[in-house]
Amino acid sequence: MKQKTVVTGVIGSDTHIVGNRILSMALEKAGYTTIALGALTPAPDFVKAAVETNADAILVSSLYGQGELDCRGFRDLCVEAGLENILLYVGGNLVVGKRSWEETQRTYLAMGFDRAAPPGTRVETVLDWLERDLAARERGERRATA
Amino acid sequence: MNAPAAPDPSLLPLSEARIPDDVFERMRRENLARWPTGAEVDFEAAVARHQALPKHKQLGWVMREADRQRRCLTQPRGGFGTFDMHRHLMVTLDKDGHADIVPTTTDSYTRNEQWQLAQKGIEESERAGRSMLNGYPMVNYGVARAAELVDAIDKPAIMLTGTAMPRLTGEIGYAGGYSGYLGSGIAYTTSYTKEFSIGEGIRNYQYLDRLVSMYQAHGVELHRRQPGFLTGTNVPPSIAIVTAVLDCLLAAAQGVRNYGLEMGETLHLVQDAAAVAACRELCQEYLQRRGHHDVFTPVTLLHWMGAWPHDDAQCAALVAYGGTLAAIAGAISVTTKSVHEAFGIPTPEANAEGLRMTRMAIYLAREIRLDGLKAFQDEKDLIEREVRAIVDKTLEMGDGDVALGTVRAFEAGVLDVPWSPSRYCKSRVIPARDAEGCLRIVDPGLMPFPKEVMEIHEEKLRRRAEKEGVPFGHELAVSSVYEMAEPIAKLLPDRIGRD
Repeated sequence: MKQKTVVTGVIGSDTHIVGNRILSMALEKAGYTTIALGALTPAPDFVKAAVETNADAILVSSLYGQGELDCRGFRDLCVEAGLENILLYVGGNLVVGKRSWEETQRTYLAMGFDRAAPPGTRVETVLDWLERDLAARERGERRATA
Repeated sequence: MNAPAAPDPSLLPLSEARIPDDVFERMRRENLARWPTGAEVDFEAAVARHQALPKHKQLGWVMREADRQRRCLTQPRGGFGTFDMHRHLMVTLDKDGHADIVPTTTDSYTRNEQWQLAQKGIEESERAGRSMLNGYPMVNYGVARAAELVDAIDKPAIMLTGTAMPRLTGEIGYAGGYSGYLGSGIAYTTSYTKEFSIGEGIRNYQYLDRLVSMYQAHGVELHRRQPGFLTGTNVPPSIAIVTAVLDCLLAAAQGVRNYGLEMGETLHLVQDAAAVAACRELCQEYLQRRGHHDVFTPVTLLHWMGAWPHDDAQCAALVAYGGTLAAIAGAISVTTKSVHEAFGIPTPEANAEGLRMTRMAIYLAREIRLDGLKAFQDEKDLIEREVRAIVDKTLEMGDGDVALGTVRAFEAGVLDVPWSPSRYCKSRVIPARDAEGCLRIVDPGLMPFPKEVMEIHEEKLRRRAEKEGVPFGHELAVSSVYEMAEPIAKLLPDRIGRD
């Protein structure tokens, strides 16, 4: 099976790089070709990098609360660039203030993300999702169940 | 958009040299013309205003006095998007929190010099009746409003701005009677920016330091301060101090005489005390060596800068212990947080509580110091060996020029900052916490630490790996990032003798 490629980065005007870097290190170690765009990455840069590298997934981090503004229209950007089927994850502190995770997750899934990860999600969980979702895509499914 | 802050081709080549009077005059004219409130800056009036402030509202003097009295002052962070909200915050911190130094944190648009966006943020905040900005837009409100804020409190006021672009914010705040400014070219450029070159960040702070030196020449001693806490995530003391020494030398070369150094707490009492002593001594050592004999360099510690637990009780322990650490370490001031830290920006009341919690801990620390303790001396010696190796190599690479040496050393990875978002920083150095609870270096990247020093780090970290049954390596760094945010039941299980 060909090596899978994933794009990672922290979206918007956000400099919180630590968790994203840990995730990128783990992805690399797990055998993914990892394009780590780092902090302060505008949404179009994720898409551009994914097109250029023919990526299988984009993993977006946001920690500073303004992710909801930054992520709006992300799936549309992908579709416009011809990436209809790319797997999209988002994770971090995704909203300003305290809101229930169910509500936050609904917001992001409605935006077209395939999975949203709450604060404190471990890299092992993300690696597990990725493996199963990419396998599901090979079978022509949207993503793995659960 | 705002007038672009494009690099000026007629600028002098990058060096540590003091900006000449005529060049600085031209730079100031251009800088102050970038936003209408710049025209409100009247240097003569600003000097007169500072001279008319009582001494206890002048941070330069207050820091010297705290040092003489062996006091540990308290200072929170904080800023809101409208004048009225921000004024209320400053008064609350002064009156209810007994803050010794009152802060004004600027919002992210101001930090990025996006003053038109900040203007919209002010209008929306006023309409909504709550702050839509994460700080006070100092430039938009201008000099007269800054002066009103300073007049509303009975303590010195400091600007906290997390930016590589301090020039207009600094001009306006200082002109309004603020007497301190936190920020520096090396530390903030490597910790808060991605595409901004380190040379450009150094230049911007040379402007601010040159401005402070101009006030000094007119009899006003303003306080400048270096954010050596860097990215705030497990930064080992030696890496913080390397940047402190270099930023300090750059400021001294512009003529600054009152320059504070800030470090994040490691949360290990002995390592923090050793770090404070080493920081002050090393800054003085290199200042003296380069002919700067009269620079005052007080050290500040900051409450835990990494991830916080989601339990108020655990947070309260970090706040109070943060006061204990700073006081026993001999820090001249401590920058405080609150139990709201894990959830975002605290209310003025929670912020004031954090101040009082810290203040009580400082009181209880009395005059206890660790000088003479063997573990303290060993740790201090270790930090000093690490710092000298990196600073000496940096100065050598610059052929004696700190600014050039810094830029070249970052390019080569000789200077490095863990978890940096900057493209101009390799960020290959990786820290972790050892079995005893001190911050160490797992992987030095390309930083030329002496071999014997790295052996000590490795041995201490291997002991932790062994204790926890994990392999020695980057995994230690990852668990160290989350350690302090873990639930207490995991950190210290209560099942003694039962399994």
